[in-house]
Amino acid sequence: MSSELLHPPLRRRVMSVWFRHYRVYVKSLVSNGLPPFLEPLIFLAGIGLGMGKYVTSMENLPYIVFLATGLPITAAMFTAAFECTFGTFIRLEFDKIYDGMLAAPISVNNLLIGEILWAGSKGLFFSLAVVCVEAVFGVVPMPLALLSGIVGFLTGTMFATISLFITSLVSTINQFNFYFTGFLSPMFFFSGVVFPLDNLPPIIRPVAEVFPLTHSVRMVRLLDRGRLTGQVGIDLLFIAGFTVLAGLFAIRRLKRKLIQ
Amino acid sequence: MENVIAAAGVCKTYGSLQAVKSLSFTVPRSSCFGLLGPNGAGKTTMLKMVYAKCLRDQAPPSSLLVFGKDPGTNELDIKYLSGVVPQEDNLDQELNVWQNLMIYSRLYGMSRSSREKRIAELLAFMELGEKRNVKIKELSGGMKRRLIIARALLHEPRLLILDEPTTGLDPQVRHLIWDKLRQLRREGLTILLTTHYMEEAFQICDTVLIMHRGEKLMEGAPQQLIESKLERYVLELRGREALTHMDASRHDAGVRRDDGADTVRYFGNDPGVLRSLAGSLGNGEFHVRETNLEDLFLQTTGNTLDE
Repeated sequence: MSSELLHPPLRRRVMSVWFRHYRVYVKSLVSNGLPPFLEPLIFLAGIGLGMGKYVTSMENLPYIVFLATGLPITAAMFTAAFECTFGTFIRLEFDKIYDGMLAAPISVNNLLIGEILWAGSKGLFFSLAVVCVEAVFGVVPMPLALLSGIVGFLTGTMFATISLFITSLVSTINQFNFYFTGFLSPMFFFSGVVFPLDNLPPIIRPVAEVFPLTHSVRMVRLLDRGRLTGQVGIDLLFIAGFTVLAGLFAIRRLKRKLIQ
Repeated sequence: MENVIAAAGVCKTYGSLQAVKSLSFTVPRSSCFGLLGPNGAGKTTMLKMVYAKCLRDQAPPSSLLVFGKDPGTNELDIKYLSGVVPQEDNLDQELNVWQNLMIYSRLYGMSRSSREKRIAELLAFMELGEKRNVKIKELSGGMKRRLIIARALLHEPRLLILDEPTTGLDPQVRHLIWDKLRQLRREGLTILLTTHYMEEAFQICDTVLIMHRGEKLMEGAPQQLIESKLERYVLELRGREALTHMDASRHDAGVRRDDGADTVRYFGNDPGVLRSLAGSLGNGEFHVRETNLEDLFLQTTGNTLDE
């Protein structure tokens, strides 16, 4: 009896994990699916009606256009981060969902890769939701802005791995506050979303370069203008490398929590 | 392959705690094997090692084969051939009964065509047919338990692993679950379970292994264990003051006394002798009955709490 014939193949194992998350997500479609469309509305209204009068242009673009390019990516970052911190922690510690899934022919690797791909898919969906709203207001170049979906997926997977790593470190759910306030909020402000990084003091600039979000944002800005330059390749390489590395650490640490 | 599970010298250590100490046993195909012991005896740990939720110690050398495969290196095949009913409910609260089973049918890689038929079949088997669209939150404890058992049977496993399957359930549900497990075993399923209910072990297990502090104390068929290790009858006296009314003159050699915290037990093979021993005690103050697995359990694992 060869082992390949017994249990389901790798792709099906990973996808069945993805499907479980998808099924639970669409179960509450209104409360899960509507906010991604509402959030950019609020943001654009706030900037357009209020701040836009004081800050008119940035990098030769109307400020609202500058901001609109980055917003799909931060949406992807936040949704992946929530999914793989609070979401994962609840599945792990409170609902014991993973205990049940791991009793099926699914390995810890399959489970966590399914988890990361799901967070990436949510990143894709959230960025496209933001782009849709922005397109209605004509603040993003269409159809090029649809490429934000791809960057949203990559950003989602990247922040899924970092967030899973954080989840492997915490002992209570409240400790995630440090991650959100101490890591994600600064990332939002210092990764080139709200102002160009050139404006930062020279000493701080290298720090911004290390921030993973910086690379996603730079990538989406270039793609939105239809510039497929070498810089896009460098940023892609950074994102891929960061995701693989953080993913390996996260899986290794979470394995110890899942398999005694 | 005669044995579904073969364990030899299996150990598991958590930090400084030795949860399982050199445990050896075999579970023949189509039998029901029960791990019996007080809380913290290492039953659940042993169970988890079978389906690779927990990895046994590397040293000293030991062997654990499930369907002839080592869980450490072949977890997926073993999990594919096994169904697991964990101690804690882990159903998806947000989904209904049917959706919960659909999710798992995918995890087991079942084909689209076989899923619906099998789920309907199992809901009927577990007497949950009318609950297919009910939310998990609205199910009683007994229904949840039955649903988890149905979930574990989805892919027609050859080994069913249950961790305290009826803890906290009412007698009706317990008997229903025992009936179903007996039926499954007759159909050829191998069952491995843990329990601290003696009644449960007696009702459904062909073999029980009594463990305490991670070690095997004894192993055998429930009835045989009782017969070989205990007298046939026991006289139970509640409250120490009852002792003063006893007919001490009848205290003969064939009777063995065992003092519990507030209960004194006399064991013997002749119920008449035990009854006369009670002397002038009123009917409500003593009780003569056949010995059962619980007596054996208390005798081997101790009368007092060990936590």
